[in-house]
Amino acid sequence: MGIGHNTIAFHQDKCDGCGDCMTVCAEAKSGTTDTQHSRLKIVPSVAANDSFELAMCRQCGDPKCVLNCPSGSLTKDHETGVVPWDQEKCVDCLLCTVGCAYGGITYNAAAGHVMKCDMCDGDPACVKSCPTGALEYNKSAEIYNNYGELEDLFVPGLAACQGCNSELLIRHTMRKIGSNVVVATPPGCIAGMGTVGFNGKTGSKIPVFHPLLTNTASMLAGAKRYYNRIGRDVTMVALAGDGGTVDAGFQSLSGAAERGEQMLYICVDNEGYMNTGMQRSGSTSFGSWTSTTPVGETLRGKTQDAKNMPVIMMMHNCEYVATASLAFMDDYYEKLDKATAAAERGLAYLHVYSPCPTGWRIPPESTNEVCRKAVETNFATLWEFTPDEGLRFTRPVDNPLPVEQYLNLSGKYRHLDDEQLTHIQNSVKRKVAFLNGFMLATSGSEAQMQ
Amino acid sequence: MPDTALTNEPNSIVCDGNEAAAWAVSLAKPDMVAVYPITPQSSLVEYVSQFIADGKIDADLMDVEGEHSVMSVLHGACLAGARTYTATCGPGLYYMFEPYVRTPGMRLPIVMSVVTRDGLTPQSVWGGQQDAMMLRETGWIQIYCESVQEVLDSLIMAFRIAEHRDVMLPVNICHDGNYLSYGVTKVILPEQEMVDDFLGEKDTNWHVALDPDRPMSVDPLTGGEGPGGPSTFVRYRKSHCAGMQNALRVITETHDEWERMFGRSYAPLVEEYRLDDADYAIITIGSMSGAGKDAVDVAREQGEKVGLIRIKTFRPFPMAALTSALAKVKAIGVVDRSVSFAWNCGPVYQEIQAVLYQLEERLPAISFIGGLAGADITGEHFARVIESTGKQLAGEMTEGPVWLNENE
Repeated sequence: MGIGHNTIAFHQDKCDGCGDCMTVCAEAKSGTTDTQHSRLKIVPSVAANDSFELAMCRQCGDPKCVLNCPSGSLTKDHETGVVPWDQEKCVDCLLCTVGCAYGGITYNAAAGHVMKCDMCDGDPACVKSCPTGALEYNKSAEIYNNYGELEDLFVPGLAACQGCNSELLIRHTMRKIGSNVVVATPPGCIAGMGTVGFNGKTGSKIPVFHPLLTNTASMLAGAKRYYNRIGRDVTMVALAGDGGTVDAGFQSLSGAAERGEQMLYICVDNEGYMNTGMQRSGSTSFGSWTSTTPVGETLRGKTQDAKNMPVIMMMHNCEYVATASLAFMDDYYEKLDKATAAAERGLAYLHVYSPCPTGWRIPPESTNEVCRKAVETNFATLWEFTPDEGLRFTRPVDNPLPVEQYLNLSGKYRHLDDEQLTHIQNSVKRKVAFLNGFMLATSGSEAQMQ
Repeated sequence: MPDTALTNEPNSIVCDGNEAAAWAVSLAKPDMVAVYPITPQSSLVEYVSQFIADGKIDADLMDVEGEHSVMSVLHGACLAGARTYTATCGPGLYYMFEPYVRTPGMRLPIVMSVVTRDGLTPQSVWGGQQDAMMLRETGWIQIYCESVQEVLDSLIMAFRIAEHRDVMLPVNICHDGNYLSYGVTKVILPEQEMVDDFLGEKDTNWHVALDPDRPMSVDPLTGGEGPGGPSTFVRYRKSHCAGMQNALRVITETHDEWERMFGRSYAPLVEEYRLDDADYAIITIGSMSGAGKDAVDVAREQGEKVGLIRIKTFRPFPMAALTSALAKVKAIGVVDRSVSFAWNCGPVYQEIQAVLYQLEERLPAISFIGGLAGADITGEHFARVIESTGKQLAGEMTEGPVWLNENE
């Protein structure tokens, strides 16, 4: 099996053209601040005013530069993923520059030969220098490399709806955590897709059970306490929906958090009781159509905001609380690591935004786009909290897109009027303002106490 | 018979029923006790908590946020292999109901005291068996005690009954709020080593477990119309009913073994008191039985040929034992401490109707309802019960239900 490689991603919307990346690259690679020697170029966009394009080597999997190179100076290193350039073998024919469609390898007149990015051995200087976050070192490939060959702990053919990423989530999650677990999947989509199985047959290779909708955290707490008593180290994992978490299951979860019961509780939030016919939950967002907040002559969807569950769990002073979105898998994986470790000390809570193609009326292929737009509009914010470190945004979005760009992707918001849109945009701003305030108040909580 | 309460026995203490239950818990050595306080059970969980604090009980104490979680943490612990115990009553029981009704279906041998309390509403914090009677069709084993000593002994026996492989069902030991929970008497404590021998090693999750060493799916969706669905579901129900029927034998054997080891004898299912030469009988359940027996003694001195039938095991329903007892008499009166609203009688009376159908001759019967919400059922009340019951022999019928405390 091949391996994946990390990449440098460019967020055009964040780039202000300052050129710091070029200066730093030139310095790192050629010992000069003359940006002529930079191996990446930021250039004004020809397509739009006031925006910029990045010219840089993509380290292609099937690189045309290598194909064109007659001297063997350019090769593809399948271990690192980098396309290295060997000056000793180069005959300066420049055929490589003809092959590249990205301006990733160009002739440097001052140096007298071509130059290209070598990814700085996995620690790119340009990314660290970027003041706006327009350049990002994307490590998603590590997920594939590290976990791709681990055993999938669920059966093939779970019956999730097309485009649902809950199945993606649970397969990744349990693959990473491993089999020394007890897994609770309360009534909801994750149980409904067959993880616990039917009529005496199981859907998992691990101990898995249906708790009641109401007692997931309590059942796990009881099992964990007994394993502690007999000296066995077993990890407790809840894969619950928002209904079983923020509504009927809330009391048992709150009690478990207060008592510091050791478990990893993952709430997969699709904003409603989607498994049973798309009814409203306490986590359904304002304005949403659901089968119990329908749209008609007098009703225009849900009239209340969603309960802000991750913040509520943060206020329980859990060992670890974080939000996540599967459009940002590397972010999720880092949080999953921390949460799994924290679950041995107390309650760790992960809140994963999980659009429901069926219930939200979105095309199955758009799920990740909806996930991404939720974050880019700040409708869903990605952050983490520990009692010692306070709150920290893991992917801050300083210039969010208008929330319509997220809402327009889902049929459940199709009926929204201007007043409702304004309400949602304002509540997004309020939520972010609250989190910012909380972040300032708690950042380095440990340090502040000194 | 000497008044042993005044003798200095090393193993005897003076305590109420709630403390006796706590001593039983200490002797039965559960791994986990989950508690949430509710009147009149509260002092029981306080005793248990103190015993754990003092090291008298080596168990994990889970003082959780409500009865719903009490039963839920015990589910988790039991599925991981623990021996478990709790106690509740009244509104706490109603709040626990969702995980409570799930317990026997998973065949979890959890033992729970019900310190009986009258139902809502009107609001009431006093004794009455409305709460326990509401549990009749939940599939738990249900045993009612008469005395504080019986509370202690039955609670220990409950673990052996629950964990018996032919049974594997949760057990409720019911002791009446106020009368047994707070009634103080002398109690003999069994020796720990003998209790250890009596109960043996715990055996709670051989059949269903949440254990990475034995990965399995616990309680997958079962039934529906698909292939094998109906038959699988039926198999669960049939085996549950079979376990209940097995329990009649196991409860009897367990009481026999208790008597052999500890010298105290109780009728395991149905107690017959002065019944063999009786013309008629009153039927009781729980702590009222003591006053009922005294009233029978008084009536006997006056020449009445009356006896008493006490139901100890109510679930499973001891049909054979009751049929045999009722076959000895010509008229009955049934005293309930709760109400069957739909049948306009007491629930024990209602179920006795099914026993009457087994008899060759139809027996006249009266439903008496008394002792609701902490009201007393005194010797005088029982004298009325005996009188009305006896008059049926002469054809003088009383239409029930008779509300014993109606004018107090």
